[in-house]
Amino acid sequence: MTFRKILTQHIAEADCHTLNFYQRNGGYSQAKKSLNEHQPDDLIELVKAANLRGRGGAGFPTGVKWSFVPKSSDKPKYLVVNADESEPGTFKDRVIMEKNPHLLLEGILICCKAVNIQTAYIYIRGEFVFATQRLQQAIDEAYEAGILGSDCLGSGLHIDVTVHRGAGAYICGEETGMLTSLEGDRGQPKLKPPFPAIEGVFGCPTVVNNVETLANLPYILEIGAEAYCAIGPEKSPGPKLFCVSGHVENPGTFELPMGIPLRALIDEHAGGVWKGRKLKAVIPGGSSAHVLTAEECDVAMDIESLSAAGTMLGSAGVIVMDDSTCMVDALVNLMRFYHHESCGQCTPCREGTGWLEKIVHRIAHGDGRMEDLDLVLDVCDRMVGKTICALADAAAFPAQSIVTKFQDDFVAAIQNGGSPAWKKRHPSAVGGTASHG
Amino acid sequence: MAENQTNDGTVAMTRWQLNGQEVENPTGMTIMEAAKDHGIEIPCFCYHPGLSIAGNCRICMVESNRSPKPVISCSEKIADGLVIETESELAVSSRNSVMEFQLINHPLDCPVCDKSGECTLQDHSYEHGPDRSRFVEDKNIRHTKELGPTISIWGNRCIVCTRCVRFCDEISGTSELCIVERGDRSVVDVFPEIPIDNQLAGNTVDICPVGALISHDFKYEARVWNMDRKDSVCGGCSRGCNIEVETLDGFVKRLMPRENLEVNDWWMCDEGRYGWRHLYADDRLSQATRDGTALEDDSATAALEQLLSESGPVAFLIDPYLTCEEMHLVQGLAASRPGSIVGGWLPDDGDAANFPSGFKISAAKYPNRSGAEHIFGAQVFGDDAKELQKSLLSSDFPTVVAFCGGHLSTGPGESWAKALSSTPTSIIFSVKTGPWLEGASLVLPATAPIEKDGTWINEDGRLQRTRSCWNPGTEPFSVELVRLQTLQNALDIRGRSLSAAGIFRELAAANDSFAGHNHSDLGSPGLLLAERPAGIAMDGGSE
Repeated sequence: MTFRKILTQHIAEADCHTLNFYQRNGGYSQAKKSLNEHQPDDLIELVKAANLRGRGGAGFPTGVKWSFVPKSSDKPKYLVVNADESEPGTFKDRVIMEKNPHLLLEGILICCKAVNIQTAYIYIRGEFVFATQRLQQAIDEAYEAGILGSDCLGSGLHIDVTVHRGAGAYICGEETGMLTSLEGDRGQPKLKPPFPAIEGVFGCPTVVNNVETLANLPYILEIGAEAYCAIGPEKSPGPKLFCVSGHVENPGTFELPMGIPLRALIDEHAGGVWKGRKLKAVIPGGSSAHVLTAEECDVAMDIESLSAAGTMLGSAGVIVMDDSTCMVDALVNLMRFYHHESCGQCTPCREGTGWLEKIVHRIAHGDGRMEDLDLVLDVCDRMVGKTICALADAAAFPAQSIVTKFQDDFVAAIQNGGSPAWKKRHPSAVGGTASHG
Repeated sequence: MAENQTNDGTVAMTRWQLNGQEVENPTGMTIMEAAKDHGIEIPCFCYHPGLSIAGNCRICMVESNRSPKPVISCSEKIADGLVIETESELAVSSRNSVMEFQLINHPLDCPVCDKSGECTLQDHSYEHGPDRSRFVEDKNIRHTKELGPTISIWGNRCIVCTRCVRFCDEISGTSELCIVERGDRSVVDVFPEIPIDNQLAGNTVDICPVGALISHDFKYEARVWNMDRKDSVCGGCSRGCNIEVETLDGFVKRLMPRENLEVNDWWMCDEGRYGWRHLYADDRLSQATRDGTALEDDSATAALEQLLSESGPVAFLIDPYLTCEEMHLVQGLAASRPGSIVGGWLPDDGDAANFPSGFKISAAKYPNRSGAEHIFGAQVFGDDAKELQKSLLSSDFPTVVAFCGGHLSTGPGESWAKALSSTPTSIIFSVKTGPWLEGASLVLPATAPIEKDGTWINEDGRLQRTRSCWNPGTEPFSVELVRLQTLQNALDIRGRSLSAAGIFRELAAANDSFAGHNHSDLGSPGLLLAERPAGIAMDGGSE
């Protein structure tokens, strides 16, 4: 069976984002059916059977997540759509929101029916101005057409969707950080338990799903769980958007079946490593994932295979680095990001991310010491698993794997007085100028 | 705690394992609280029993059999079958890691930091921290600025535990403080143009585990280990907040709240906290005078004895600052002079305040109205006082002994001043100088509330022990207690002088309200006296 694109099938067409176009191609028929005919429990069971895994990064089974929400609760329930898409190297949700916003809305309707939700918030990354406009247009059209509002698709159900723009913090993509931000507080992750399904936004039961996850729902309803499971590997099936960036000839977002070989993704779909150079390293799942060396790249792009390879699918943001890349500079760049984005709540992350950046920065700028390599790894060990959210882990993982797997680059920078790029910019600089010697 | 109540009213217990020992605690407790019951103190920075759980400092991480990662014991609850290790390799390394992280950007300015000596970071560093630093980078710089009229932030020292922020959100309900910036730039700040200026603001300095929040009042005043401390009770209002009075070389330097869950939790108000300055105010009375002539201390007592031994019936004007013990001595004197009467004056009410946490400030700005009513009767500030004032104004009594104490500069007010000056022989104990001393026969310096040793009864009817900030035998340690007993000895109504505890035993024997109690069974929360004397309304009385 050849793979047919589901999420991005029509994105090349000019009016693909309009309600008219979407309905012409069968849009909202699944939502209509589920709102009018399905029982909530049947929908949850269907999604469980389809083994839909969350597309945000953690890969948690969506149906299971829904089933955690208490059936009887006197509090309102909420759906919060995570559209913050802030993981470096990731730009898949953006495509859906800009080109196929009604697909997301249809997914939202199905989820709302399954969990008995009346209010959905789309928490969208603040920088996504165009996507916000497209999304808002689509919502306005849907209200106009009676798809959203007091009588959704003639079902008598009342479902409202509101777009909420973030203000530009990576941590607001973490689910509880997003919820505090949505509540109007400083975006900081909350202690778990209680988990959002029990006590989420405004203290009420809340489902948090990623944009791409919800966009899979209409298709699951259309073809059924069995057919859906036939796409890609059994344990994490379905179509998947892969974002390829970095040193490739044809970067972009590619919809492919889960489990496609990483080499095929890079070489066939993304045009191969650019400028005829050789592959050096790949970060397969957003910048928080462990890096793979060129030799380790014979791996399938699905949750289990990447986990077995010691890394993760994460957000499927594939960052490709060619052999001209100095991994010391690459790590400085990453550490600067995590240092800048740590919310500052937990001590190990607040202090550790800054410390890591300073050490790696020092190595890149010619003041490194051999013992710094052990120090980096030890600081990472002291951060992993010791904080409220996973940001500390996300900072430590790339640092651990880059220092371990590309040790030669670091030793060279220490011995030669800095990274090649630094030395090029500062030809007269002499290493070892730091006061500590 | 409702969650551990079973149907038959007993407390449900949870069996768990702590460091290899099978232990039991009431269900619903956190690991940290429960471990403490078994003598295991888990270190903390952000945890405070009076505030919500933030779980951000991470120093209280311990190893659990329910999680591959270490868990934080301030937030994680005990459960049946839970196995917790506080000294395992994972627990110790987690703790030590947090300590190292806390210290990398913390300045080494302990020698000039006011918190030094009572700093949680110092204490934990000594026990759990590394003995040298692996951090060779430049330390971060954060702001140092005034956050309000009484408090500044030394940002470099801040460990972002958010205790102060949570205090302003949850206890004072004023929410002036926030954390600004992210990551290791995070620091406590106020919103632009809105300083921290609430009635409980001073508590944020107390609960700061490091020297980040600094009180202007105490800045560079003393090294905390050099100060003497006395467990006292604030006399600033009828709440009777439990406090600690700290002195250095005979000077009061700072008042700190002392935990009493029945009265003030962990807090006190700024009015009380900074109120001790009146001890050293220009209008403090320090010199005894006889008809306007200065007297030495001994001759002042002699003059008091002479005036009283010659007198017939005496009018006694008491104030609501006297301790129960002092009042008992006054009562003894009155009884020994047939025909004597007692009335009392009350200062005007001030402002009351109620806070979201339940903390209260009383409008009655004095500590012991209730004690006076237990000892002299319900009308001592009511009809008795009216009658006393009338008698004094018509010169029915040749002698009056008046107590004009307290921290307020207003004294007993104009009408009482007139009544006192109409009496031929007036003996006035006073904390302050003021118009009420005009024409007095004998003026005696008196002790301010925190200088008194004895007991007060607060507005809830709670009998509490307060200790003088001075040591016994050094002036002005509870001067009235000493002087009134010397007087009683001279008048042959007492054989020997006693401590405040001894006087209280006499009071307990003589007065049913106090029967069966003594100083040592008051304990730290004090004692709720069963009932107030009949017919007392809290808002009644007059001057």
